[in-house]
Amino acid sequence: MSAITGVEPALRAEAVSFAYNDEEWVLKDVSLTLPRGKLTMLMGPSGSGKTTLLKVLAGIVKPQRGRVVVLNHAIERQNHRKLSPLIGYIPQQLGLVRNLTAMENVLMGALGRCGNGKALLGIFPRHEIEQAQAALDLMGIGHKATETVFRMSGGERQRVAIARTLLQRPQVVLADEFVSDLDLALASEILGRMRRAAAQEQITFLMSMHRVGLRDFGDHILQLYRGQVALGSTNSLQAESTTESHS
Amino acid sequence: MRINLLIPAFLIFLLVVVLADFGFFDGARMLRGLRNLGILTSEMMPPDVGVLPVAGKALWETVQMSFAGTLLGFLASLPLSVLGTRHLFSPIISRTTRFVAAAIRTIPVLLWAIIFVILVGLGPLAGTLGIGAYTVGYLAKIYADLFEGTDPEVIEAVQSTGASNLHLVRFVFLPEGANAILTQLLFMLEYNVRASSILGFVGAGGIGFVMQVYLQTLEYRRLATVLLLILVVVLTMDALSAWMRKRFLLSAQ
Repeated sequence: MSAITGVEPALRAEAVSFAYNDEEWVLKDVSLTLPRGKLTMLMGPSGSGKTTLLKVLAGIVKPQRGRVVVLNHAIERQNHRKLSPLIGYIPQQLGLVRNLTAMENVLMGALGRCGNGKALLGIFPRHEIEQAQAALDLMGIGHKATETVFRMSGGERQRVAIARTLLQRPQVVLADEFVSDLDLALASEILGRMRRAAAQEQITFLMSMHRVGLRDFGDHILQLYRGQVALGSTNSLQAESTTESHS
Repeated sequence: MRINLLIPAFLIFLLVVVLADFGFFDGARMLRGLRNLGILTSEMMPPDVGVLPVAGKALWETVQMSFAGTLLGFLASLPLSVLGTRHLFSPIISRTTRFVAAAIRTIPVLLWAIIFVILVGLGPLAGTLGIGAYTVGYLAKIYADLFEGTDPEVIEAVQSTGASNLHLVRFVFLPEGANAILTQLLFMLEYNVRASSILGFVGAGGIGFVMQVYLQTLEYRRLATVLLLILVVVLTMDALSAWMRKRFLLSAQ
């Protein structure tokens, strides 16, 4: 277990088990805690259950056993709208709408705060548009706001996806393998930006990753092996002491 | 390997049986047909261009009918296809909607035209509504399947932002499906232009009525003009939709 004394966890999973069919547990009795405002890396070989764990934590699929608590709210599968201020989710292929512009994709982060009225006509409040632009600026692609996503490079798309999640302003962001396709320099840069965002906005990040070279960007590491947490919080103490200098 | 040969061989055998039953291999009969083709063609020549004003006017009505009917059906198919999307609605709603669309589709457009002639009387209104009805049944199914085929990752990601079902339709299903939506709409318009040229046979307006009159009075030279006019319109439609695809479809799909 990876509880860090003195820090209230942002997310807690208690004995979560999940299977897509009756034959085999993809996750077996997984318990973990995510310290608030930290970037936790979820490492593990492919097939170890990282994606499934993230989907369970995001409330997209419901575990057969156990429960997930985010900032004292037990998550339930149906209620996307109530979950959206708590949990943001970035899937492996980013889940961007390719035929829309970067700005339109980022503004989708605000949909949880918008009714079915003007947003359906594509009209968003001015302050949301300003914040969407600010999120794109923060990611260094403010000048590409009107570019259609399918015309963008892989690295630019990653940044659009992060900007969308930043506009959503969730307490916890769950990101699946999403810098894996990038070269090391770009991946490092994006992880650096996420780390700064984590520290500044007190956002808690959990990122799955199979690339060992990037693990040092995490404040905290969870190792998943065959659906079980094999090892937790390897450098959490170190992260505790160095967080200040990073932020 | 043996099965690979067996199936086509069986299909060809079936084809031969059916054709023989219908008299395809009756040499004298087919020869007579060939001779008649020559007579018919010679009687169509040269086309009587004197009927151009009458035929042109009727053809214009056909084009109007297919345009209005296709758009009407398209607009009605959008909400129906959303209701038929299993990601969004309970199985009862989506299955019922899909059943309704299938039932509408079962009835051919000519029969729809007859039904609407009974309901609203003779003329292009009946034809327009008939085309619209058939279009709804067809597009609602195609679009519902299209929406269901949307990348689940995109749906999950946007749902996790707290988007409502209507938001999903507006920001995921419609933009992600835009290319296929337009392609199918253009296909439907082309199809309806061709299909609606016979609706006049049952009094539902357009060029069909003129065609029928020339057929029954054996005025083949006038009929030839009508057929040539339809050919021109169909070719124009093809060119137009090719241009629209090139102009509006996003290239990197």
